[in-house]
Amino acid sequence: MTAALTPDTQPVASSSTQRQPLYEASTQYRHWRFSPEQLVHMRSTLNVDAVSAIRDAFEADSLGSSSSVSFLSAEEEHLLVKLYVGKIAQLCGHFRFPEEVEATAATYMKRFYLKNTVMDWHPKNVMLTALFLATKTTNHPIALESYASHIPKTSPSDVLDLEFLVAQSLGFDFAVWHPHKALWGIWLDVQTLPDVSIEELSKAYETAHGHVRAARLTDAEFIYTPSQIALACFSLASPTLATAWARAKFPSSPHPPALEFLEPIKEIILRDGSPPDVEAVREVDRRLRLCKNPEKIPGTNAYIKKQQEKDRQAEEKRLRKAEAARIAMEEGDPFGSELAKKAAEDLDDDDDDD
Amino acid sequence: MAQRNSWLRGTTIRKSGPSTSASTRTSTPQLPSTSMSIFAGGVKDPSGRTVEYIDMNEKCPVCDSDAYLKPGLRLLVSSCYHKLCNGCVEVLYATGSEVCPTKGCNVINRRLSYTPQTFEDLTVEKEVAIRRRLAKEFNKRREDFPDLRSYNDYLEEVEEIAFNLINDIDVAETEARIARYHQENAELIELNKKREQEYQRYLQEQEEMERQERELRAQELRRIETEEREEREKGRQAIIDKLETSDKDAARLVAKSRMETQRRASARAASSSSASFNQSNARLLRTRATQSAVVPDVPHVPLQDNYYAYDDMFQMRETYHDPVSEAVRRDREGIMRAGGYRVDQAWERALRFAVAGLDTAPLSGMPAPPPEPMAVDSEGPADAVMVSA
Amino acid sequence: MDAVERANLERQRRWTKDQKIGEGTYAVVYRGRELATGRKVAIKKIKVGQFKDGLDMSAIREVKFLRELKHQNVIELLDVFSSKKNLNLVLEFLDTDLELVIKDRSLVFLPADIKSWMAMTFRGLEFCHRNFILHRDLKPNNLLIASDGQLKIADFGLARDFADPGYKMTCQVITRWYRPAELLWGCRYYSTAVDIWSVGCIFAELMLRTPYLPGETDMDQLKTIFRALGTPTEEDWPGHTKLPDYVPVGQFPKTPLRDLFTAASADCLNLLSKCLIYDPKRRISAKDALNHPYFFALPYPSHPSKLPKPAKKESGIPLEEVDGNTDMSGPGPGVKANPPNKLKRKNSDDLGGRPVARRLDFTK
Repeated sequence: MTAALTPDTQPVASSSTQRQPLYEASTQYRHWRFSPEQLVHMRSTLNVDAVSAIRDAFEADSLGSSSSVSFLSAEEEHLLVKLYVGKIAQLCGHFRFPEEVEATAATYMKRFYLKNTVMDWHPKNVMLTALFLATKTTNHPIALESYASHIPKTSPSDVLDLEFLVAQSLGFDFAVWHPHKALWGIWLDVQTLPDVSIEELSKAYETAHGHVRAARLTDAEFIYTPSQIALACFSLASPTLATAWARAKFPSSPHPPALEFLEPIKEIILRDGSPPDVEAVREVDRRLRLCKNPEKIPGTNAYIKKQQEKDRQAEEKRLRKAEAARIAMEEGDPFGSELAKKAAEDLDDDDDDD
Repeated sequence: MAQRNSWLRGTTIRKSGPSTSASTRTSTPQLPSTSMSIFAGGVKDPSGRTVEYIDMNEKCPVCDSDAYLKPGLRLLVSSCYHKLCNGCVEVLYATGSEVCPTKGCNVINRRLSYTPQTFEDLTVEKEVAIRRRLAKEFNKRREDFPDLRSYNDYLEEVEEIAFNLINDIDVAETEARIARYHQENAELIELNKKREQEYQRYLQEQEEMERQERELRAQELRRIETEEREEREKGRQAIIDKLETSDKDAARLVAKSRMETQRRASARAASSSSASFNQSNARLLRTRATQSAVVPDVPHVPLQDNYYAYDDMFQMRETYHDPVSEAVRRDREGIMRAGGYRVDQAWERALRFAVAGLDTAPLSGMPAPPPEPMAVDSEGPADAVMVSA
Repeated sequence: MDAVERANLERQRRWTKDQKIGEGTYAVVYRGRELATGRKVAIKKIKVGQFKDGLDMSAIREVKFLRELKHQNVIELLDVFSSKKNLNLVLEFLDTDLELVIKDRSLVFLPADIKSWMAMTFRGLEFCHRNFILHRDLKPNNLLIASDGQLKIADFGLARDFADPGYKMTCQVITRWYRPAELLWGCRYYSTAVDIWSVGCIFAELMLRTPYLPGETDMDQLKTIFRALGTPTEEDWPGHTKLPDYVPVGQFPKTPLRDLFTAASADCLNLLSKCLIYDPKRRISAKDALNHPYFFALPYPSHPSKLPKPAKKESGIPLEEVDGNTDMSGPGPGVKANPPNKLKRKNSDDLGGRPVARRLDFTK
C-alpha cells in the first residue's frame, strides 16, 4: 500500500461500496485520522511556528531577550504531554471516574496538543481542564467547586479559563470511540468461537486491558481504528485467540487485512506505551518555565501590549456601532440608505456582547 | 411602463346590453364576438364579456362611409393593422390577395386577414396579438429559475422582444431570436404547456366544486329555515293545545317546550357542522387527488438511509459470561427489570465497536493538507447518502 | 493570532446573521445565511461563561450529538464556530414545527398525512437509537418541519448515550405530558423505550389535535395516563411496584382505544397501542414500528411536499394584479383577495412582494 491515500479515496471496508459504514461518519474518522508522517509534520510545523511567534513576543517584551532563550523541540513537547496524559489515570483513580472519562480526557489532551504548543499552554492546566470537560461530555458531570477543591493548588477559574479554548481546539468534536469498549466487544464475541475456555479468555482480557491503557499514551488512535487497537492488544495477550477471532470475522478472505495491521500497532504500543523517563521530563519542564510565551503570562510587557491591542479593537467596534446607530437615527429616510440600515444591524458585531 | 401595466390588467370592457347613455344612436350596437360571425378572429373570450369595439362615427378610409350612415357597417382590421370596412373588404379582395390600400403599406392581404376590432386603440390591438403569440412560446415560470435575478432577466428579455416587434424594430433579428429560443427550450416549453393545461383544469374543477358547495349550502340553509319555521308553528300550536287541554302550570309548560326547541336546534347544529366537516374533508381529498397527479404518494419504505451498521459481522447471543453486566442481569432487588434497561443493547454497542473499521487501512504518506478540524460537513466523503424510495 | 483562532475566524466568515428571531435562557437564535450560496440557516448563539460550571451541559450535548448524526430526519448542524465569549451553532433553517401544525385549526389532516409524519419521526428516531443515543425530549415542539415538508428531530439538549450497565441515568427527563410511567415512578435504569412512549403520545395528539395525556403535576400525570389506558397490573408490567418512587395511584379500567379514536383504522390503533405498552421491554422498537403493517397499508403516506403547513406569519401578499381572475360575483374592482393557494403561481418572493411584470394570460 504505497499510494498516498486520502480519506476521499479510501476503500470502503467490507460490504457494498455504496453504503456508508457508521464509523466513517463519525468526527473521529473524518477529522482526527492521520498518517504517521502527517503527525510528525504537524508537530514540527506547529513547533517551528510557535517558536517564531514566541520569539517575537519576547522581543516585544524586552529587546534582545529572545537570544538567550532555549526553546523546546517538538519531541520535547511530546514528552511533556505524554507525562501529563499519564497523570490523568491517577487523577481518575482519585476521583473514581469511570474508564470512559479517563480515556476521553486523554484523547482530548492529545488532540489539543496537535493544535497548540506547550509553550503557550502548560499541560498541567490543560490536563485539569480536559478532564473536567470530559466528565461533562461523557455524562458523568461533577460540580466545579467539588472538582477544584479536590485538586491541590487549583482554583475553579484555573480550570474554567481554558475550557473554551480546549473545546475550540478540539473543533467541538466531543464524541470519541474508544479501544477499551471494543475490547469488551471482543471479549463477548470470542465466546461465540468453539472451544474457548473462559479462564483463558479472562486472563487474556486482563493482559489486553493493560495494553489498552498503555496505548493511551501513544499515537495509535490517530492512525488506527479503535477496533484494530483493541485487537492488537488482545493479540499481544493471546495471539492464537486473536487470530482465530479475526479469521472468523472475515471468513471469505484467506489473509484478513485486519491481521496485517496488528504488527505495526503492537510495535507502537510496546515502544511508546510506557511512561517517559522522569529525569528527562523534569529537565524539559525546567526549560519550559523559561521559554513560556510571555504574551500569555499576566503582568509581562508583552501581555499588557496584547491586552491593549484587544482593548483597542473593542473600542473601535464600539465606535463603529455607535456611529451606525447615529446614522440610522438621523437619516430616518424611509426609502433609503440601505447601508445605514445595514450598518446599524450588523449582527456579526454582536459577538462580543457582555 | 406603469401605464402599460395598468392597461394590461385585463379589466373587461363592460359595454353591455341596454345602453347607458341617452341617445341610442351614438352608443354602439353590440355584436358579441362569437364564432358564428364570419370574421371570427380577434379576441376570443369564452365568457362573452369582451365585446367588439365599434365606433359609430368612424369612417372607412376607402369608401368614406360610417356605421351611422350605413347600418351594419363594421370596420375590420388587417394583419398590418389598417382599417377597412367590410364592404370594401369584399370588393377589394374579391379576387383573392391584394396589396393593402393604405398609402405606404405594401403588405399583401386577403379577405381572411381582416378581423374585427377589439380595442379602441389599434396599437393596443397589435400589442395584444403580439403578446399572445409570445406567451405561447415564452412560458417559463419562476420555479424554472435558480434565483429571482435570472427570472427577472428572462422577463426583461421577453419584454425587449415584445417591444421590438410592436414597434417594428429589427423585426427579422428579433424573429430569429424567437426561433432560437424556441429551439433551445423546446422541451421546457412543452412541459410548461402541459402544466398550464393541468392547472387550468384544476382551476376549473375547483370552481366547479365551489359552486356545487355553495349550492348545497344554500339548499341546506333553505331547508333548515323551512324546518325551523314549521317547528315553530307546530310548537306554538302544541302550546296552545296543551294549555287548553292540560291543567299543568302554564309557565312550566312553556319552559318545557322552550327546552325542546333548544335541544333540537343544537342537534341540528351538530349534524350540520359534521356535515360541513365531511364536506371540507371531501374537498381536501379531491384537492389532494389532483395534486397527486403532479406529485404522487409512494409506498412506504421502512428505512431510507444508506448507513451500514456492521450488523452482518457478528451474531448476538442470548447471554454471555460478562462480569461487567452481571449485577445488572441478576438484579437481586428487581429494580432494574421494570425500568426496561436492556443489557443486550449495551452488548450490541460493544460488539459494534469491536468490528467497526476493523479492516480500514490507515493513512500513509503525506496526502493533501491535513483536513481542518471543523470543515463543513456537507462536502467530503462522509456524506450520508439518502436513498430515495 | 493562534492558528486555532485563525481557523475559527475563517469559519465564522462563511456565515452572516440577518435577523434575530428568538431568545431563550441561554441562547439567542438568528436567521442567517451562508454567504457563498445564500442558503438560509439558523444561527444559535450560546453565551459561554454564564454558568458557574462553565460550558452548559445542554450546549455540549447538542454539539456532541448533532456533530455525529447526519440523517434526513435529524436536524443538520452545518458548522460550529466560536468567538471569544460565544458558541455559535449553525443549523439548517426550518420554518415551522409540528406543534404549530397541530394547533393551526384551519389545517385539515388526512390519515395519509399523519402516516407520513409518523414515518418520518420513526425514521429519525430509529437512526438515533441505531447510534445508541436516547433523545429524551420528544414532543411536537421539537419536531421541526422543513420547507419541503421533511420532518426533522431537533433539540438534543437532553440527549445522552446509552448507559453502560449499572450506571444510573436521571429520571427527570422528557416533558411531562410525553413522559412514560417508568420515569414518573423514578426509574434510573431505562432504555430507548422512553422515546417510543413519547412518539406514541405525539401520534395520538396528531389524531386528536390536542395533547393526549396532559397532566398538571407528576402525580397527576400518572393518574391521567391510567385513566386513559387503565392501571397496569403485575401481569402487564412485572416488577413495576419495585420502582424507586412507586406509589399506587388508583384503579382505573382499561378502555379500548377505539372509543376515543373513532376515526382511526385498526392498523393505526394497533401501532398506537404497541407504542403505549406499559412494560418497556415489550414496547415496540422504532425499527419494528417502521415495519408495522400500518405503514404498508393504503393509503400511502402523503408525499412530504403535500403535507399541510401553517400559513406564514409574515404573509406580505400585497393586493397585486391578478390575471383575468376577476371575481365574478364579488363587488367592486376585480381583485381577488383570497388566501394564497399553494398551486397558484403567486410570484411574491421573499423580496418584499414587489410585483414583477406579468405575462398576459389571453391564451384561453
